[in-house]
Amino acid sequence: MKITVCVKEVMDPDAVNNYAVAGRLEIGPDGKTLTQTAIPRLMNGYDEQAIEAALQLRDAGADFTLTVVSAGPEPEKMLKHAAALGAQEIVSIPIDPGQHDYHAVATLLSAQIEKTGGADIILCGRQASDDDQGVVPALVAERLGMPVVTLARALELRGDKLRVTRVTSEGDEVVEVACPAVVTISNEIGDPRYPTASAKVKARRVKPTVTTPADLGLGEAELQPRVMLTRQFVPEVQGNCEFIQGEPSEVADQLIERLKADSIL
Amino acid sequence: MSENAIVVCTWSTGRDGLPEGIEEVLHIGRGMASALGTELAWLVLGPLPESAPELAGKYGVAKLQHATDPKLDPAGSDACVEAIAAYWETHSPGTLILHQTNEARVVAPRVAGRLGKAVVMNGISVEAVANNYQITASAYGGDTRVIYEVSSGSILSFIANAVVPEPAEGDAVSPETLAVDLSSVEERIQIVEQASFDGPRLDDAEIIVSGGRGLGGADNYKLIEQLAAALGGLPGASRPIVDEGWVDSSHQVGLTGRITRPNLYIAVGISGASQHMAGCSAAGTIVAINRDADAAIFQHARYGIQGDALEILPELIRAANAR
Repeated sequence: MKITVCVKEVMDPDAVNNYAVAGRLEIGPDGKTLTQTAIPRLMNGYDEQAIEAALQLRDAGADFTLTVVSAGPEPEKMLKHAAALGAQEIVSIPIDPGQHDYHAVATLLSAQIEKTGGADIILCGRQASDDDQGVVPALVAERLGMPVVTLARALELRGDKLRVTRVTSEGDEVVEVACPAVVTISNEIGDPRYPTASAKVKARRVKPTVTTPADLGLGEAELQPRVMLTRQFVPEVQGNCEFIQGEPSEVADQLIERLKADSIL
Repeated sequence: MSENAIVVCTWSTGRDGLPEGIEEVLHIGRGMASALGTELAWLVLGPLPESAPELAGKYGVAKLQHATDPKLDPAGSDACVEAIAAYWETHSPGTLILHQTNEARVVAPRVAGRLGKAVVMNGISVEAVANNYQITASAYGGDTRVIYEVSSGSILSFIANAVVPEPAEGDAVSPETLAVDLSSVEERIQIVEQASFDGPRLDDAEIIVSGGRGLGGADNYKLIEQLAAALGGLPGASRPIVDEGWVDSSHQVGLTGRITRPNLYIAVGISGASQHMAGCSAAGTIVAINRDADAAIFQHARYGIQGDALEILPELIRAANAR
């Protein structure tokens, strides 16, 4: 059995949040690129949890080859981390993200998976923490003719079927799907594990397979962006907070009075 | 149907009543159609909600199109994608717009993939520029806004909780039935166990009291439940305490949880990360209770109380019960 996890490198969303909240997030002269070099780049957290989901299947006794693939500017360091976690194969598709939208990324990922004989299960994070779009898994599924099950919090292999517990607004839902299938992983799957020190040392020697769009038979026409990012900015918040002060019992009474006076209660 | 028509699409989820967010997306759709001088259509997959013709009239819908097939009641994602793809073949709409639910998060990109169209999620607002659209969308968990440009003939999904819909006078629109043939569709995803939550939903709540890490421990979450009950509202939670297992994820407010728009949102011990604010920033009034006077949540709040949640909550419960 083959499991492929698709991962993306992003700017650390917590660092972006800290700079944004402090009003110091820098956007470059092109009006759309975050330029702070102090913000570390790392594997999208949900994607790391997608690797964790694969490792949980392995813990439960499933036998498979784990491939981790990424399309991005310099995915190799992040892919070494995937190797340290237990990926047998790491695949890098170096691209300039300014020239390729998420449709192009989905095209590249599905072409790579197809070229290497397909996959029984494709796992992806529910969305990337930079653009939050979350469309690549469904685009890949549609391209490969596979079903896509979203927002998984638990996976269980039953023969050639996958049982998935999904997080929905009405609570957990359990579904079953025949492989091959694409599954997106939600944060409820749990914290990703850390690689051991010896696995990290071993991973340094793992060489990523590097594939170019041309290797996949894809040219400008197939990778033409459909969605152009034209601007990025930090939204303003009004900030007219009125602080209510005093002893707890006083502030409580005052707050309820204010809310009544404002006809909110 | 006129060229470049804007089509709002909804489908049956098995719940009664109008689809959630429908007035907000109809409002957006009406704006797009009038900017482009084209017509607005509303495509309903599956059973037609009783008040749909009347609602369509209030938002200037020119055509209320109703696709019926047993496989659309309730609609699985394979049936939805197939029905929309068939509709696109025969009607070639300008742009398809959706209210962003978990189901829409699957259907929108699948339709885009199937038809080779562009798709944009997390839309907040949209402007027509020549033959293209510029969509303002949320990114980095709400820390930033991005503007994407796509051509006509795209699929756009909106988180429309900040839109205030403005219904106008208008005659009810008679629905026209569209025949779709979904006999060959076999849903590939089988539901083994339905989600069983059938209580009131955060999405519809008028008052929400949410707790975060500042509560100090799982046991203290009951104070959030008590205050919510005293105010006639529902208890919510930030993602960290859901991840910690203090409460289950049906309570989570935020970009990856529930997107809410209550009249009153009381955030207790929540720092106000953008991820969380994306799920509550459309609230009419936000009240923040936090020990840290510099917490980001106060930038969003109308009223703030700086202090220990565990001292303030019991007093607030008392005051709320006494009102």
